[in-house]
Amino acid sequence: MRRLYEFLEQDTRAAGFARVALSTVLVLLIWQVVSMLVTNRLLLVPPAEVAVALAGEVEQGAMWTNAVATVTAVVTSFMVSVAIGVAVGLALASSRMLSLTGGPVLSALNSVPIIALAPLFIAWLGLGFASKFVLVIMVAVFPVVVTTEAGLRATDKQLVEAARSFNATPLQIFSTVTFPYALPFIVSGIRVAWARALVGIVVAEFFGSFAGFGFAILSASQTFDTARVLGYVIVLGAMGLAGSVLFAALERHLAPWRQE
Amino acid sequence: MSNAIRLRVEGIGKVFTRRDKPSVEALRGIDMTVAEGEFVSIVGASGSGKSTLLRIVDGLIAPTGGRVLVDGREVDRPGPDRAMVFQQDSLLPWKTVVENVAYGLTLAGVAKADAHRTAQRFIDIAGLQGFEQHYPHQLSGGMRQRVNVARALAVDPKILLLDEPFAALDAQTREIMQTELLSIWQETRKTVLLITHQIDEAVFLSDRVIVFSARPGTIREEIPVPLPRPRSLHLKRSPEFVALVDRIWTLIEEEVRAGLKQG
Repeated sequence: MRRLYEFLEQDTRAAGFARVALSTVLVLLIWQVVSMLVTNRLLLVPPAEVAVALAGEVEQGAMWTNAVATVTAVVTSFMVSVAIGVAVGLALASSRMLSLTGGPVLSALNSVPIIALAPLFIAWLGLGFASKFVLVIMVAVFPVVVTTEAGLRATDKQLVEAARSFNATPLQIFSTVTFPYALPFIVSGIRVAWARALVGIVVAEFFGSFAGFGFAILSASQTFDTARVLGYVIVLGAMGLAGSVLFAALERHLAPWRQE
Repeated sequence: MSNAIRLRVEGIGKVFTRRDKPSVEALRGIDMTVAEGEFVSIVGASGSGKSTLLRIVDGLIAPTGGRVLVDGREVDRPGPDRAMVFQQDSLLPWKTVVENVAYGLTLAGVAKADAHRTAQRFIDIAGLQGFEQHYPHQLSGGMRQRVNVARALAVDPKILLLDEPFAALDAQTREIMQTELLSIWQETRKTVLLITHQIDEAVFLSDRVIVFSARPGTIREEIPVPLPRPRSLHLKRSPEFVALVDRIWTLIEEEVRAGLKQG
């Protein structure tokens, strides 16, 4: 038991996988036990039934249709959010005037639950890709803007002075000091943006679409098909986790000196 | 040494003006020269503006009066004829040792392969062989300062400017680094201007020590160091050495005490 504990504490890839496996098994176990106590199948279904429902969706091809709709929409709008976020963050960091005038507007927008505007976006842009695209960008762009600006402003003055001392041009200072220094900050913003983008896409699909995971969840819950609801939620959870792991690894890769 | 004048500082003064606060006069009427191949140190209490002077010589900040001449040409910005070794970590944490040493060269547009070849030469001189592919966070403080020195030397400056380069190191490492700096200097024969608050460091390394007064910084005295070279750490225990350190300390003591009272 003690040896197992020591193994799990290690900082190796194998131990990492073992930890994930262990927590997955634990969650499934608790779920199983609770679903044996709660016998109303409208409220909760056991893991095995969810797996069957998921397999059914794959077989019928519904999974594929929904995945294509959701993934294309979320990935395109996520990438555009990152591009816009970095660009706006750059602009804010390079101009004090812009930061002072635009900053309050942005933080006001950021603190409004934009998701609540989803019905409006759909009224403006109709059902389908365009409304999903805009809603996801509206929720995902802010973390990138904020971390880009903060990262660029956080730059070590000492490093900038050293670059200046070596006769670096302003562009060289940006490309060799300021931007590399900000990059891990930006990636941490991107990680948050990915999680937000998933929320945005589901809500957008709730309100206005004929395909996608959000649409599938809504229609399954309207027919009281709890197994299908949970199945799609798990797929979304896996997408969120995959993004989080990927961007966390990228952050570590870009800034190894921060860990030690 | 009767070599040509490499660095001439003429009537340099610096007043920092700050918004909503009284302005501070950091330096007043600094006149000094450093000959080619000479090793000169500036010592003074903290707040004596010595670091400011070094930044003016490097061209990082502009003086409010006077001028700096390198080989008779006035300088008003950083240039390849001067290179600075900073006190704290100013290495790029995302670049390896060899990339850091080559940094000044790549900024100047030298091709990567050539820059790395030159960098390798100074990595060897600084005793960093085998650490080329390490990142700064994997090195000790002493090793990082060697990279710092190698980076400055790699651009082949006429004048090497050192801003309390060993201040952040522990006492033992500092002494070792002093002897290593001397041997590097012996090998490269650069003109060196060093800022330090360690009097024994200044005496041990220099041909001449310039003592600054406290704010505003002015030159209080110039003290030649006639100790023979090459020097080893044993020199620090010789009576001549101790007498020189003592003399400089007496000059600075009053300023330090006054500074303590001001807080």
